Amino acid sequence: MMFTRFHFFQTFVFILMALLGLGLFQTQVLRGSYYYELSKRNRVRLIPLEAPRGRVLDQKDRLLAANRPSYNVIAIPEDITPEVYPRLAKLLEIPEKEVRRRMSAGREYPFAPAVIKEDVPQELAFLIEERRPELSGVSVRVEGIRYYPYGETASHVIGYIGAVSPREYEDMDHDRFGINSKIGRAGIERAFDDDLRGWRGGQQIEVDARGQMVRVLSDRKPEAGSDIKLTLDLEFQKKIMSMVNGLHASIAVLDLETDGLLALASAPAYDPNIFVSPAASEQRLRILKDENSPMLDRGINAAYPPGSIFKLVTALAGLDLGKITPQTRFRCTGTFQLGPKSKPVHCWNHEGHGSLNLYEALERSCNVYFFNVAKRLTPDEIAHYAHELGLGEPLKLEISRMAPGLIPDSAWKKEHFNQPWFQGETLNMAIGQGYMLVTPFEILRLTSIIAKNGKVVEPHLVVQDSTVMPEIPRVAIREENLEAVKRAMLQVVESDYGTGQLARVDFDKLAGKTGTAQAPPQKAHSWMTGFFPYKNPKIAFVVFVEHGGSGGVTSARLVKQMLEAWRDLHVAPVA
Amino acid sequence: MLRRWLNEIHFPLFFAVVALAAIGILFIYSASYRDPGNYEAKQVFWILAGLVVLISVPFIGYRPFLSVSYPFYFLTLILLVLVDFFGSKVLGAQRWLTLGPIAIQPSEFAKVGALLAGVNFLGSHHPWEGQTKTVSVALLLLAVPLFLIIKQPDLGTALLFIPMSIVILFLWGVRKRFLITSLSALLLAAPLAWGFLKGYQKKRLMVFLNPSLDPLGSGYTALQSKIAVGSGGFWGKGYLAGTQTQLHFVPEHHTDFIFCVIGEELGFLGSLLVLCLYGFLFHSIFLVMQHTTDVKAKMLCGGVLALLFSHVIINVGMTIGLMPIAGVPLPLVSYGGSSFIMTCLCLGLVLSVYKERSIF
Repeated sequence: MMFTRFHFFQTFVFILMALLGLGLFQTQVLRGSYYYELSKRNRVRLIPLEAPRGRVLDQKDRLLAANRPSYNVIAIPEDITPEVYPRLAKLLEIPEKEVRRRMSAGREYPFAPAVIKEDVPQELAFLIEERRPELSGVSVRVEGIRYYPYGETASHVIGYIGAVSPREYEDMDHDRFGINSKIGRAGIERAFDDDLRGWRGGQQIEVDARGQMVRVLSDRKPEAGSDIKLTLDLEFQKKIMSMVNGLHASIAVLDLETDGLLALASAPAYDPNIFVSPAASEQRLRILKDENSPMLDRGINAAYPPGSIFKLVTALAGLDLGKITPQTRFRCTGTFQLGPKSKPVHCWNHEGHGSLNLYEALERSCNVYFFNVAKRLTPDEIAHYAHELGLGEPLKLEISRMAPGLIPDSAWKKEHFNQPWFQGETLNMAIGQGYMLVTPFEILRLTSIIAKNGKVVEPHLVVQDSTVMPEIPRVAIREENLEAVKRAMLQVVESDYGTGQLARVDFDKLAGKTGTAQAPPQKAHSWMTGFFPYKNPKIAFVVFVEHGGSGGVTSARLVKQMLEAWRDLHVAPVA
Repeated sequence: MLRRWLNEIHFPLFFAVVALAAIGILFIYSASYRDPGNYEAKQVFWILAGLVVLISVPFIGYRPFLSVSYPFYFLTLILLVLVDFFGSKVLGAQRWLTLGPIAIQPSEFAKVGALLAGVNFLGSHHPWEGQTKTVSVALLLLAVPLFLIIKQPDLGTALLFIPMSIVILFLWGVRKRFLITSLSALLLAAPLAWGFLKGYQKKRLMVFLNPSLDPLGSGYTALQSKIAVGSGGFWGKGYLAGTQTQLHFVPEHHTDFIFCVIGEELGFLGSLLVLCLYGFLFHSIFLVMQHTTDVKAKMLCGGVLALLFSHVIINVGMTIGLMPIAGVPLPLVSYGGSSFIMTCLCLGLVLSVYKERSIF
């Protein structure tokens, strides 16, 4: 008989079946007693190992978020004998009920260790190790725990981590998340969780009858997460935090060469360490309930009326649309009437500023001048220029997840109030009052765009590879108009009539704009933004103090302190 | 009438199916009687339904199945695409499609769809004329569902397509040269495809091939299932007396890892019994193949045999560490309606080949 393909196939099938039978013989008969031993007490334990979380560094590689060792008391419930519960409860100073609750909390698989108490003091950890013979199934494991060495200093930027909930755990990649894993909940920790998080490892160990390890059967080392380097300068950030201590304020400083943020401070702040240590739950509650909302990043996630800062936008709109020139003069008598029957509105200086050109009007922040400009503009034209300069536009900052502020226009009014836009509202809009809301961060972006003569600026926090330099787009505003506004901003500080004189520093020329945004019934919000030095600007900044009063006083003083701190840190001292 | 009907059933095959299904019921019960779900009762229903399919397919004959193979093939493709969009996720893979009260596993249907379409296509072309073109189209027919199943991702099921495809091409009469070149082309293309995979996909594949890379996941399963089977020893621990599987060390112990329960509780003797039953089943299919002259029928039987055989090898092999861990059921024994009914349909086709055998 010929050996056909059919026979080949038949032979192949039965040879493989025979091999399978041999494999079973080997496993069950030859090695049977070995596996029987292993199975008798289920001697194989699986110990998951969490990967060390990547660190967060500042621009000079100083640690902003790191890991420190933590002694965690763990237990394998299947190995626990009943008399262990009271002993363990006494040692850990927690109720026995709590020990039992922890023991029966959700686990990933049978015989996996349950975490009884995290981050116990070293002495206690050693004591438990010593008394292990009477604490069968209990052991101490050293693991990394998140640690923020500078506490409140950059808490809003770095954010914090928290435990995953059982519900989240269900849908997660179990190579990366265990049931006791932590996940970034805010700031950089949240935005870069995927990078900071490494890959979990684990050990299969064989244990003896008392649950003690005999040998490691199989081992996979966890892979640490990668570090994240920020553009922040820790020393500068620290100094700025101390300036705003006790205020409700935010300060942001941008390096105009790299578009990286040197400092991003919001006060009051919180200590992110309290979200790590399970013992700090009372502090956590206090922070979350605090009326001063320390969790809120006032620089990014809170919007306020911009006040006179917005006159920069009104001026640019007027100039760019050809409605005014820098030399256009208007007379300020202290009051302004839109029409003969309209209610008069006032300049902040009730005596009036007299006849002013644009430079003088910005320098002294004259309301009446800008009421006159507003009369020549429609709200949609002003809104267009606001958007062009980034107001009301989404942020590309890594840690921001809030919608930007609000720039009203006629369509918005129609939609929300079902009313037409009144011309009187344009007056309010021109001086940054009314419906308008902006975040301090948007103002920083606006100032940076002006400082860079119209180049679009997207501030960022994480150090980027500078190898790829894409063509930077420009805003659609003529450069000579931006130049005019920059000169006016110089006068705000350097002229003896300027509203920002108090910010003046003796080592170089500063350009800025103050704002005092009415927020009745409380004190006004205080603003100042600007760039420094006037020629070849290196930094742009925004200072905002909630209910801080006059921008030219409260904020301007902070600006001066901030610039001096910046000089001390970044300009080499003249020999 | 009844007598004639009885004469036309291939009894050894029928006997093997019933015996394996009975073992299935016993061990589905053993594996899951502590859990809610009444899997064994549900399985009784599926078995009865499957047996009805098994004995009614010969009445229709295999030829009508071949003639509707293309529409059926496209239907299974549509189901596979649907599962991508509406499927429910179980253990990270999208494999199930819920239709009212029942959940179906389209990849089970796709295997049969691809088999029928492949056989029908190859059988309609003579191997001596334009072989390159015929084989290319056939490979495309088989590759589309394979690709969709890989995407789920269900690597185990997808790999089952490969032995099935090889066998039907082989029996059809593909040139050895062609078989060797396409196999080596596949091997050469593998590193290239590797480059296109994403990081986690590579990892999954690596772990699939070497479970000890992942001691937390499938590595743990691999070790525990080996302990379960091995600890059964020669005689086994006795029915319902297994400890490893009862304590949930082995996941999916009523479906993909049912062989662990059998191995632990019945020992080497029981494992051998199951292997012999499969051997007997395969032998019956070979006998049926020997008695047909229709090349399509031969290929069909060969494809069914290859499918069942690779299921058994992968499933039993993975419990003792000879094969990577894959979500492949043990045919006729594992819990699951889609799998049981599709297996019965396949075997029903074999029975109908037997019924229409040439008598000489």
